[in-house]
Amino acid sequence: MKEVSFKNDVLPLKDKLFRMALHITSNREEAEDIVQDTLMKLWNQRDEWSAIQNIETYIMTICRNLALDAIDKKERQNISLNEMVHDQPDNSQIQDETLIRQQQMNSIQAIIQQLPEKQRTIILLRDIEEKTYQEIANIMGLSLSDVKVNLFRARQTLKNKFNKS
Amino acid sequence: MNYQYIEQLLERYWDCQTTLEEEQILRSFFKQEDVPAHLMPYAPFFALETVEKSEKLGEDFDKRILAMTEEGNKTVVAKQVKFSTRLAPFFKAAAVVAVILTIANVAERALQNNSVSNATVGITDTYTKKEDITAKIKIIDHSQSEAMAKTDSLKQAPAINTEDMMLE
Repeated sequence: MKEVSFKNDVLPLKDKLFRMALHITSNREEAEDIVQDTLMKLWNQRDEWSAIQNIETYIMTICRNLALDAIDKKERQNISLNEMVHDQPDNSQIQDETLIRQQQMNSIQAIIQQLPEKQRTIILLRDIEEKTYQEIANIMGLSLSDVKVNLFRARQTLKNKFNKS
Repeated sequence: MNYQYIEQLLERYWDCQTTLEEEQILRSFFKQEDVPAHLMPYAPFFALETVEKSEKLGEDFDKRILAMTEEGNKTVVAKQVKFSTRLAPFFKAAAVVAVILTIANVAERALQNNSVSNATVGITDTYTKKEDITAKIKIIDHSQSEAMAKTDSLKQAPAINTEDMMLE
């Protein structure tokens, strides 16, 4: 088995971990703390690295669990989708296409934030981190069919809500 | 231009039937500048990856983590201590005790020697010449013979007649 280097193999995963923690907690500082805790937790288990089959899957699982623990402790601050939509200026007044796109992007991100955590994390892992269904199942400790069902629901919600807004 | 393939892919995407490669094709397509108007509303969904991937941690984070792991390394790495090294303090203590005992023993002997020599200082005068030694022996012999003569004279003295004393 390939020897794992913390600096070369583990530390470069920090941004993926950060995005996952950020999606779950919706708080940058908290997400950064979670990534730090995740990396230190893995570092403290360095004697057992040889027994870990896939270090990336393993560390992402740790990160997700720590992020879930964090939101259990603290009531997450939700951004209401309706508020987001109300905050948007009238599209007809905006000539700048880039600005329209930016607002659409904000709407999609707001809809994603409204999804249940499981669906939100699956969307992140599939559409942003480009993981296979099997990898997602391993990271989240779900069955393959659970992953597919949750992804289907998440995409349908996104499509429907985005079309309405 | 025919966008039927893209439209089919899009339908399959919403139904979660696309592969990672097909989803990559959709992302590439919607990144283009000239996306047809009827497909434009879906563009933000596929731009999400680019936007989200811009969320990164700074280099100071790396430095902080590496500093923490190096610190951890320092405390975790254990020195291999030999058995003889472990016993070194006991050896040192034993050596100190041995030195103290030796000094005490030497000091005790020195004190004993001093007291003996003081007691015999009168008869242990040193003589270097043969004549001096002979003279000294003679003096000792003479004093001894005198002492013996005195004791003999005491033995020969007439005993007191106790009967005479009683009659008187």
